[in-house]
Amino acid sequence: METLAFQGLVGLSLAMYLWLLAAGLTIVFGVLGVLNFAHGSLFMLGAYFAFTFYGLWGVNFWLSIILSLLTVAVVGYLMERLFLRYIYHLDHAYQLLLTFGFILIFDDAVKMVWGGVAKIPAMPSFFEGTVSFWQRPFPIYNLFIIGAGILVALVLWLLFEKTWWGRIVRASASDREMASAIGVNIPILFTGVFVFGAMLGALGGALGTPVRVVAPGIGAAMIIQAFIITVIGGLGNLKGAFVGAIIVGVVSAYGILLFPVFELFLIFVIMAVVLMVKPQGLFGG
Amino acid sequence: MKKWLGIISLLFIFLVSVSTPALAQKAPAKKPAAKPLGVEVIKFGGMGIMSGPLSICGRVIMMGAQLAIEEINAKGGILGSKCELKFMDDELKPAVGVKNVRYLVNEWGANFILGVDSSGVAMAIGEIMPEMDRIYISTHASTDRLTEELVWRKGIKHIFRTTVPTYQEAILPAMIFKDFTHIKRWAGINCDYEYGYVSWSLFKETLKKYRPDVEFVASTWAPFWTMDFTPHISAALAANPDAIFSTPWGGEGVQLIRQALIMGAFDKIQLWWHPTGATTDFLEAVTSEVRADKFKGKLWVSGRYIHNWLQTPENKGFVERFVKRWAMYPFHPGQGAYDAVYFVKAALEKTRSLKTSEVIKALEGMELTTPAGHKYMRPEDHQAIYPTPAGRPVHDPAYPIAVVGDFKMVPAKEYFRHPPFEPIKISK
Repeated sequence: METLAFQGLVGLSLAMYLWLLAAGLTIVFGVLGVLNFAHGSLFMLGAYFAFTFYGLWGVNFWLSIILSLLTVAVVGYLMERLFLRYIYHLDHAYQLLLTFGFILIFDDAVKMVWGGVAKIPAMPSFFEGTVSFWQRPFPIYNLFIIGAGILVALVLWLLFEKTWWGRIVRASASDREMASAIGVNIPILFTGVFVFGAMLGALGGALGTPVRVVAPGIGAAMIIQAFIITVIGGLGNLKGAFVGAIIVGVVSAYGILLFPVFELFLIFVIMAVVLMVKPQGLFGG
Repeated sequence: MKKWLGIISLLFIFLVSVSTPALAQKAPAKKPAAKPLGVEVIKFGGMGIMSGPLSICGRVIMMGAQLAIEEINAKGGILGSKCELKFMDDELKPAVGVKNVRYLVNEWGANFILGVDSSGVAMAIGEIMPEMDRIYISTHASTDRLTEELVWRKGIKHIFRTTVPTYQEAILPAMIFKDFTHIKRWAGINCDYEYGYVSWSLFKETLKKYRPDVEFVASTWAPFWTMDFTPHISAALAANPDAIFSTPWGGEGVQLIRQALIMGAFDKIQLWWHPTGATTDFLEAVTSEVRADKFKGKLWVSGRYIHNWLQTPENKGFVERFVKRWAMYPFHPGQGAYDAVYFVKAALEKTRSLKTSEVIKALEGMELTTPAGHKYMRPEDHQAIYPTPAGRPVHDPAYPIAVVGDFKMVPAKEYFRHPPFEPIKISK
């Protein structure tokens, strides 16, 4: 029993990286209607920038994360203003082509700037150590990640449900033309939402820097799981992304403990079942 | 008519003036001495993983082969023919590897293929080498099936290997740790592909022979691109093992051990065997942890070559030249690639011909003193026989990064498998 509870906690910390990645993906899709394949690349860039500030230049850990988010915000801004903006009215297939192109460009750009070899910076010393759960040591860093993930979920909920900006975003998501007719500046709003989504992805990447590998291709490796999460939770639905991420993270962790031989397969089974029973996803409407 | 004559004579003068320098150049130069191998350039097609968390292993293959080629060219090449390397990324994908080999041989004109990190890729390209009529020398991919099954059982003579196969990760530790009688419960955190399955199965089978009392209490599996090993570590620790056996390599191996540290694994277990830990990237990444004694002497590592083990002039010179050329200490895939080029050189000097069947004959049974020691290319399975010890990462003031120390040796003939290679039951 304790073993299961502990493994669940491990799964929860796994889920939080996925949640941060899936949140940005699903917000951008929900509001802009764009399925951004390159969202994983923004996650990767977040990790690389955080590594550069923190691991290479010795900037304070927290400041590095903020700087990394701001840098990725600029990248997201340029992506939206110079490219995505021109294909909103086109079929989804064009968006996939364009954003897939971005994956290749970002992966190669990263190789040119940082080289192909994986980067592994040292852990900030204040995160070292463990706390005991059920007589077993649990890393403080993973606890911090769980806390950060839940905090982001709360902030997003407040932002979208309780603020004026959130109401406008939701209004534009449900009826773009009507929102525009009552005076919402849609192009600016779209840029803002895209940049926001990019920063969420970058946060996931940046927070993983001290414990996970930073290498070209990590974005493409992560984005598949993010898609699975959004399919399970319902594409464009934030609550769905949160629940979906927890399902995927925790099920992976239990799979590794209980069914090591076909653990990878489990997530796909869940996705298939959800698609059969509720094709729009658990929270999709 | 006069006009025509003028044009023709001008044309004639033009032609003569253009062709004369060429003639003049050719005439005095004596015919170049015929190269015994009949080619200006001997082409080596290299492959490895050049992108992603494992890419340091592909790069070091390129470095080792390139260094050997530069050394050979500086001394006039092989029998007067210069050597050249073209290196490609196989992305750890068998299909990409096969495509690369076809390109390297058919389009680029490679005479030899070397390298490859992934066992899956090595097995795939091994199968097509007879069709390509080229020799492939593995310098890292380590499934025993490459030499035992493809060479020995199926008779594909075009495959050779300069580095130890999974005997290093599996049989060597079984022979060392069998004497650690306090260690009875083993758990595995292994790669979810060929390499992991073979290593773990071979280890279990060998150790069980010496120590019927040991138990294998958990096995977890991690595919390529695993970025978070915490669920694997936690699942392995849940079974209360005395020791852990782990095969993830490259950047993933570093992440695994890092994450194990922050999970307090080294407080709970007695021993951790991480057979790919003698690589430069790994030792560099754990240097501060080794200095702070975070592993409490429980971490044991090895490699197919350890740069500070042999104090021979061959090895000292090699390490010095490698560091000078690449600003990095060499580790096994690169050292294996270096040896591969020199094996080819020795074979060609014997055959004086690039004919594949003759070069194969020359390589079989060849003995060569290399930086990794004395290597004997066993004719039955085309596997180079030589030992490399296991040890623990230690701090040595002579080096800027951690090195392996506390060496434990087992003679090669004891820990290498021998024909007729009794089949191993491989399971996940």
